Amino acid sequence: MSNITSLKRGRTARRKSAVQIYCQVSAVLTIVIVSLILLTLLIQSGPVLLAENNGLLGTHWNPDEGVYGIVPMLFGSIFVMIIATLIAVPIGLMTAIYISETRSSKLRRAFKSILELLVGIPSIVYGLIGVAYLNIWIADAFDLQSGRVILTAGILLGIMILPTFLTLSEDAISAVPLKFRENAKALGLYRHEIFKSVIFPQAKVGIAGAGLLALGRALGETMAVMLVIGSLDRLPSPLLNPLSSGQTITSKLGREVGESAFGSTHFSALVFMSLILVMITITLTISSQYFLTRKTAHV
Amino acid sequence: MSEVLNNRRLAEKCFALASRLSLLLCGSVLLFLLGSIFIKGIGAISLEFLFTPAREFGKSGGIFYQLFGSLLIVFVAAFLVLPIALGTALFQNSYNSNAKLALLLDQCLYALNAIPSVTYGIFGLIFFVNLLNTGISWFVGSIILAIMILPTVTLSSYQAMSAIPKIYHENAAALGLTRAQIIRRVTLPQSFHGVVTGLLIGLSRAIGETAPIMFIATAFSGVQVPHSLVEPVSTLPTHILELAQQSTDPQALRNAWGASLTLVLLAASFSGLALILRSRLKSEGHR
Repeated sequence: MSNITSLKRGRTARRKSAVQIYCQVSAVLTIVIVSLILLTLLIQSGPVLLAENNGLLGTHWNPDEGVYGIVPMLFGSIFVMIIATLIAVPIGLMTAIYISETRSSKLRRAFKSILELLVGIPSIVYGLIGVAYLNIWIADAFDLQSGRVILTAGILLGIMILPTFLTLSEDAISAVPLKFRENAKALGLYRHEIFKSVIFPQAKVGIAGAGLLALGRALGETMAVMLVIGSLDRLPSPLLNPLSSGQTITSKLGREVGESAFGSTHFSALVFMSLILVMITITLTISSQYFLTRKTAHV
Repeated sequence: MSEVLNNRRLAEKCFALASRLSLLLCGSVLLFLLGSIFIKGIGAISLEFLFTPAREFGKSGGIFYQLFGSLLIVFVAAFLVLPIALGTALFQNSYNSNAKLALLLDQCLYALNAIPSVTYGIFGLIFFVNLLNTGISWFVGSIILAIMILPTVTLSSYQAMSAIPKIYHENAAALGLTRAQIIRRVTLPQSFHGVVTGLLIGLSRAIGETAPIMFIATAFSGVQVPHSLVEPVSTLPTHILELAQQSTDPQALRNAWGASLTLVLLAASFSGLALILRSRLKSEGHR
């Protein structure tokens, strides 16, 4: 009898530990995958960092001479990101205000589900739209030979991050309790005053989180940018001219990783750029999560 | 006094105008995007387009092997990611009581979410294709896509698990069920909708990705059904990429639009299915 119970207990104990071990292994695997990715990038960046006269911080990129200046790409990424933000943030914010302040649940639901559809459009399809339309429009509008310029990439990217920013900032604005609006309205404030002095101070953390997340998306976007930016590894001249071709880190990677030989300094330089990019996007995303979760904890 | 009032009224008018204009702008961009994909694509799509292989480097013929390759890669990726995502979510929900470890896991998942898609491609190229010497392989593409959608599936499952009322666990524990039995009888059935939704949303994201697979898993032409794990396939996104680069050729562009519409419809049907199943399975779980 006691033998049977102990046997039974032994079996349940073993089964329990099997499930537990499976869960623990999965969790460890998740952590291992992340570390493996970062470690691989770090190790493969080694050769270019150790190479002499690598010119990493210069503005000249030429694998034949062993010079890998990443400044044009870094500048291009940031420039395109700023243009995209300048387009997406004002339009997204004003639209979010309209949708949440008119408080029509039907409009809100309809808009949100369409936005979800837009987020699901693959970036290569945005790229195709850029190549087929935007490209040509920009060339016509500014009388350029080719529309593959920084401005085109910025506008396309702005359109791509608009849905993300719009939905998240709308959530943040809608999360401000109704009674604040009612009180402010009872005091005779106009809508823009209510937004400026009542809603915005409470929603700004969430809006900032949405903005950071959108920035991370913009920096990491590859395919659409690669097709429309013109792929020129030089700083634009004059420096802030959005109508010249350029290169972002991601478009550089997309164009050249396939062509460079594994293990070469050239390949290592590309991996190093990718490492920088990852560091920036991870920082942006984790801080945006901090903002976004703090918002929900508040309400 | 009245001047101040007038100024306020003017500002109000500007504010209202600006928000309406923004909405209009958003609406028209939206309409333009969906409209152009649909109108340009519908002209190119036909049953024949979907079921014949590409000819002349994609300029004529259909997209049969691209469609097949895309579906193969993402379904295998879903198959690979499910056990790890489920295990990690269960670990967070049922076994882990260490707050620091929980935070670390969360940050790892956010980091995976943050890594740009092209970096996944580079990682796959270094680690699998070169260090493990697999060569260009569709299966490596599946592994990389599985890693990419891991956070989506895990977080969705985990959220569904933590939404289960605590009293269910307490009741089950009071009945003398072991932790593994509680997981099987309570946690899994009650969070099933979250797992399925996460998986479908992950699928809809994975099928549209180009950058992670273009160095490691795909070849442009001359590829049919792979006979082993280490052969390349052809996929819809990489096919569109190739065609978009020949954008001066109207025939190539036409096929690119057809492939784009197919891709968008596939992605939309995965996420649409996720929405439907979420509400249906949720009500079933609570019955």
